Amino acid sequence: MESSSPLIHFDDLRASVLEDVAQRSVSDLTRTVNAPGKMDLLIGEALYAERSRLKRNRPGLFTRGRFKGDARLWSSVQSDLLRPAVEADRAVALDRIVRHYGEEIGGHFNPRVYNFAVHAVPFGLNWLLNAASMRRFVPWGMTQSLEGRMRVTGEIEALKKLSKKGTVLLVPTHQSNLDSVLIGYVIYLMGLPPFAYGGGLNLFSNPVLSFFMSNLGAYTVDRQKSNAIYKEVLKNYSTRILREGVHSIFFPGGGRCRSGAIENKLKLGLLGTGLEAQIENLKVGKPNPNVFVVPMVTSYHFVLEASSLIEDYLAEAGKARFIITDDESWQALKVLNFFWRFFKSQSSMTVRIGRAMDVFGNPVDDEGRSMGPNGTTVDPVKWLTTLGELKAQPERDREYTRELGQRIIQSFYRENTALTSHAVAFALFESLRKLYPELDLYRFLRLSLQQRMIPIDTFRQAARDLKVRLVALADHGGIHLSPEFLASEDWISDGLRNLGLLHEAAVVRIDDGAVFTEDMNLLYYYRNRLAGYGLSLLADPSQNSPGAYDRKGFLA
Amino acid sequence: MTEKDFWLKSKIAVIGGGSWGTVLASLASNNCENVRLWVRDDEQARVINSTRTNPAYIPEMQLSANVKAYAEIERVFEGGVQGVLWALPSSVCRELARKLAPAFGGEEIVIHATKGVEEGTLRRVSEILREELPVARIGVVSGPNLANEVARGEPAATVVASRFDEVIAAGQAMLSTDRFRVYAADDVIGVEWAGTLKNILAIASGALDALQFGWNARSMLLTRGLAEMVRFGVALGGKPETFLGLAGMGDLLATCSSPLSRNYRVGNRLAKGEKLPDILKSLGSTAEGVRTAKSVYEFAKLRGIEMPITEGVYHLIHSGYSVQDVMSALMVRPQRPE
Repeated sequence: MESSSPLIHFDDLRASVLEDVAQRSVSDLTRTVNAPGKMDLLIGEALYAERSRLKRNRPGLFTRGRFKGDARLWSSVQSDLLRPAVEADRAVALDRIVRHYGEEIGGHFNPRVYNFAVHAVPFGLNWLLNAASMRRFVPWGMTQSLEGRMRVTGEIEALKKLSKKGTVLLVPTHQSNLDSVLIGYVIYLMGLPPFAYGGGLNLFSNPVLSFFMSNLGAYTVDRQKSNAIYKEVLKNYSTRILREGVHSIFFPGGGRCRSGAIENKLKLGLLGTGLEAQIENLKVGKPNPNVFVVPMVTSYHFVLEASSLIEDYLAEAGKARFIITDDESWQALKVLNFFWRFFKSQSSMTVRIGRAMDVFGNPVDDEGRSMGPNGTTVDPVKWLTTLGELKAQPERDREYTRELGQRIIQSFYRENTALTSHAVAFALFESLRKLYPELDLYRFLRLSLQQRMIPIDTFRQAARDLKVRLVALADHGGIHLSPEFLASEDWISDGLRNLGLLHEAAVVRIDDGAVFTEDMNLLYYYRNRLAGYGLSLLADPSQNSPGAYDRKGFLA
Repeated sequence: MTEKDFWLKSKIAVIGGGSWGTVLASLASNNCENVRLWVRDDEQARVINSTRTNPAYIPEMQLSANVKAYAEIERVFEGGVQGVLWALPSSVCRELARKLAPAFGGEEIVIHATKGVEEGTLRRVSEILREELPVARIGVVSGPNLANEVARGEPAATVVASRFDEVIAAGQAMLSTDRFRVYAADDVIGVEWAGTLKNILAIASGALDALQFGWNARSMLLTRGLAEMVRFGVALGGKPETFLGLAGMGDLLATCSSPLSRNYRVGNRLAKGEKLPDILKSLGSTAEGVRTAKSVYEFAKLRGIEMPITEGVYHLIHSGYSVQDVMSALMVRPQRPE
């Protein structure tokens, strides 16, 4: 661990960071509410949203304290708002709300907890790994380790170098609550200093997880709070820690991806704080002022909470509801079971680090220079100069961030590593669709067990055809293929073995010369990991960009 | 410093010394101290700088002293420029953008005036510039702007579109005069496609006029042609209302009514029986519609976008159909709601 990381000393800074964030948020918000009565509206809207949130949610055993604090604040804000402004100063109310939020968001970092976690967690996992492998006969000893199961590929060296030349903003795809654990561990494996990250407030309701997260630099992001005041404080907090040089992680898709596909729409609000931090750094002439955005794509053979996610996706048809309570990732036994099976299965996880970009989405070389097209370099100061002056310009910066978002999505698709199980799911799903081309998504997913069965030879042919298309795509740099596609004798068997291994219902089964699925929704979920590439032969060829649907409502 | 002061003190590069490029340089010279026009060769530069006119393209216009022509790109960008007005034909856009990329510093605001797309790929010019130049702030200027009329100082209006407000503001500051109004838009896709698609209809209009019909036929062509433009533009991500504005309807009326328009002349002479290569040779400058008709026809067919007039123009140009054949084919299509 590098002692130079600003996160190590974060607790010394915390008070002054929160003070800055509070002052900045109050002054920014006050500036936006220049018209009379607007301040009442701003606070009133937050009050309304917060009161209905408190009414909707019942506190749990571990969240009661926070819940009570929230309720106290908002009932006093309400009584203030009912009095005339001369008696109850709105500025004071705003200041109180902002500080309340700041305190909730602000993370901690405890180096001792960090040291404990990075040593104890892998120890525990390795123990589990070896215990699980006992059943198998490993001829040359029990030397398997967790590292062996995690394939970390891509621009690792560049990331290490850049982490010393500026502030890294790591933007991973998000499929599972276990992503945070995995990514935290990958960062440690790469020898990088700890990163701060925004964890959903719901993750903090478990006291054990909460203890670790809040002492490992996590700050909280509550997606249920969407009022303007909260968003302002959150953005300022993120900007402020990036300015301190604290490497950070955002899941730019917001929550976990519901459909199983790679993210095709990003939340740009937090993402824009990288640009904001860089402008402020440049203005004060800070050394290493640049923020580097590094995409990261994880690939799993199975996702613990896949059933809940795809159900939610189908119910809302893409309109993301952000909180799923009681999904599988909360049940301790399930999580344990997941790890047990994972280690037993000899299955692996793949993490790919993409090429770093600057805050505009231009590629960055190892030295941290932004590269333009045709051998040019880009000087960020020039791109941030408007009417001859280096300054923040909200309208311009929103557009830069929108472009950055598009580049991140492109990178996600390129850096995705297709696993054999994804290809098997895709091939099976598409061969079934060929039998019922007239059905739309919802009718198709309700096929009876008898109807969703195809002869094994048909399936294998479809899988082989798909592989040809995948290889062509990979040759053009459109995707990566896991080594099993090329190395193993029969990648199809590998995919069949691994596909959705954990789920109660078999995502794919072979019985009596036929292949079928016991769970169409899950099959669709795993199949979607390869959506958006134009691999489906049934989709309208003009509608195969990321996130597009074909005429029957399937992700193309 | 106010916006106006900033642009008054600024240096502007105009890339392309054709008729519209020269007129843009002249418009900018009213609002910017230092305007540099990049032209093809030393001889053209010398003539422009000594006679203060561009006789090869637009002889009637007098250029003011703060417009200087150069053939070397380094001279144009010397000391850095703040605004770039890009006025090159779409066919050379990518190639020249690649060549000129190293000259750009990054702070430039680039506004292009090209009414065409890349053949085959259908990339819009703003997309090509974004891909090839180390700049981000890019926009488009388009509208019913026949170069000779603007050169004579007749009243006219245009649209500047960009996703960046500051590009629009810059376009307005650089190009507005008391005879030339600049409107703002954010629908870059719509404005670029409107300017591109109307060239196809200009060919159709020229061809139709060769048959010497009256106003009914012309109105039918323009109105149904506009419907085609909207259909195609919206399928590619433009907003329908853009096509009703200056860049759409406005430009369509000007281009399709004026014998000055190059595309109109191509259609007219084709209808009179001349061969395409001869026409293009004697035209001397680019008629964007010829290439556009092919690309758009092929793409529309692939995507199932109905474009009967474009199809007719394509056959007129590339399949050797006569204008009478095309006309009759269009008139006997099945009856349908408007």
